[in-house]
Amino acid sequence: MKYFGGCDVGSTYTKAVIVDETGKMVAGTTVKSKIIAQESAEIAMKEVIDQVEGLNSSKDLEYLIGTGYGRNKVPFADENISEISCHAMGVHVTNPSVKAIIDIGGQDVKGISIDTDGTVKNFAMNDKCAAGTGRFFEAMARSFEMSLEQFSNLSLSAKNVIPITAQCTVFAESEVITLVGEGKPMDEIAAGIEMAVAKRCFVMSKKAGATDSITLTGGCAKNAGLKAAIEQVLKLKVVDLSIDPQLMGALGAAEYARQKGLAK
Amino acid sequence: MQDLKHLIKFENLLDDAANDLVKEAQAEGQYAIGYTCYHMPEVLLNVDNCFSTRMRAPRTGSIDISTYYMSNYTCEFARALLERGIEGGYEYLDGVAGVDACSAMNRCYEHLEVLECNKKPHFFVTHTDVPYKVEDYNVDQVATQMRLRLLDVMHEKLGIDVSDEAIRKAVEEHNELCRVVTEIGNFRKLENPPITGYEFHVISLVSYCCPTAKILPLLKETLEEIKTRKPDPKPWFRARVAIVGSEVDDLDLTRLLEEAGAMVVADRYCYGSFPGREEIRLNDDEDIVKQIARHYMMTSECPRYMAEEKIKQRRDTADRLAKEYGADGIIFEQMKYCDFWAFERPLASHILTEEYGWPTLSIDRSYNVHNSGQLRTRFQAFVEALEIKRIRRNAQEQEVVG
Repeated sequence: MKYFGGCDVGSTYTKAVIVDETGKMVAGTTVKSKIIAQESAEIAMKEVIDQVEGLNSSKDLEYLIGTGYGRNKVPFADENISEISCHAMGVHVTNPSVKAIIDIGGQDVKGISIDTDGTVKNFAMNDKCAAGTGRFFEAMARSFEMSLEQFSNLSLSAKNVIPITAQCTVFAESEVITLVGEGKPMDEIAAGIEMAVAKRCFVMSKKAGATDSITLTGGCAKNAGLKAAIEQVLKLKVVDLSIDPQLMGALGAAEYARQKGLAK
Repeated sequence: MQDLKHLIKFENLLDDAANDLVKEAQAEGQYAIGYTCYHMPEVLLNVDNCFSTRMRAPRTGSIDISTYYMSNYTCEFARALLERGIEGGYEYLDGVAGVDACSAMNRCYEHLEVLECNKKPHFFVTHTDVPYKVEDYNVDQVATQMRLRLLDVMHEKLGIDVSDEAIRKAVEEHNELCRVVTEIGNFRKLENPPITGYEFHVISLVSYCCPTAKILPLLKETLEEIKTRKPDPKPWFRARVAIVGSEVDDLDLTRLLEEAGAMVVADRYCYGSFPGREEIRLNDDEDIVKQIARHYMMTSECPRYMAEEKIKQRRDTADRLAKEYGADGIIFEQMKYCDFWAFERPLASHILTEEYGWPTLSIDRSYNVHNSGQLRTRFQAFVEALEIKRIRRNAQEQEVVG
């Protein structure tokens, strides 16, 4: 059996996936990114290699593709492909009926619309600012003295939404601290935070031309409160994926590796 | 491909506004006139003993002081120029020929004067108005302004000969430069060009930033070299793109694009070769300054011209260039906080896609992009999408033939 790999080196998490020659995902992992991208890739790749019998190192893979911000730092990679293309392909092979993605990573937000063959039809991406990204949620959870998981469920019980006016992560953090200090309900503040990010996602998805059948990828896809807020602003039901949405970039890279490796 | 003989020399000339050729010309007694905009006819600054030098701020770092004077939400290019002026970067200039095209650049010119960024006793900053549309009466107005506010000032302050004969001579030299740069640029039309977009960007920029008489022999030599230069057998790029939009004098932007696999085949932006390197055709009947004014007004692609026909001209030019130079897609770029392109870009980039059928990537960017990871990702994703579209198109064509 031939195996193909994809390694998505993100700013906060590194993900790796191996698929077989039929395209079936046989291994996947998510590890916290190290400061050196190459190290993160090595750790993630070792984990997935260990999950597949008959593989001893990345060199045993027929083809390996790097993606994510550290895409050009993946050892033994045959080539690198942008995470925009990889997320589109990852979602396409997981659920071909999905036509658009909101990918919320550690340091950026992207709206991507997908063509019928899994390639990118159009995309939009935020600029340098970290507002509305994974880092933003980390900062907010810190303000609430909660884990990310606790924070992501907090807004679900809110009866009201307290709008957060600041867009900047730093100013928003200080606004949240003020609101908490004023004794405002924590779940309603959290709902305001989720809504602020959902609005940003709305803009990205519309810029990318997304109309229906949309899903979330990236680490923030697991944020239940955000998902609910996005469904509210988009007036759409977000499609749940059968595979961990955080792995979509790596899965897309592995699928591209499969297509390119078999065509070699 | 073998390196171009003068590439490193050219790159060094772009490292500083007061470059070696500028200093050499000044040491020979010539006067340097800085300018920032296509609305100011470059050729009129090259009359007699003057030479034009298009103002840049290479290696811009902090722009804190200019931001203090001009506020955060103004064009970064204008702020970067002021910052460089405050740092002493334009002390070499003998004058600045400004145009009243955008308010941000006007503030920059004013501050260069008010903050006494240049101590030369004869130093001057002059302004000319720019109309919103091109009509005969506007051409007359611009020509009059060029005489009163530019040529007369150059004559009074520096003793420059601004006779028709001197202007005609400058036009001849300018046209020769245009022919050389255009001929070099035309190699980009080839399927496997013997020049990269980055190299052309360097060549185009030195032609704006150095005295024409000094740079022309080097450019001619480069043209001859390119004529016989052998490209690598397989093209290095994955897609061909045309850039359209606002001011670009940042080589890193082209470098970033080309590193992502996109060969820049056409450059329709301020400081690019479209417009800028078209020959000026003169007749013997009409006032020469009026003819020059009309040439610049007709060829200008600046969104400061808001008339409907100019808006259409800009879209048609992007379409024509992309076709003529074999582009697969268009990058529509805009300097952050550029007033005019901020209005033009959002709509025009959609129209180019939906009405003209061009895959278009729309971006706003800083004056210096440095090594922006997010831009790199966008460029790479755009290249990947273009590449796949081309592969699909070729496959469909083969099916039809089969």
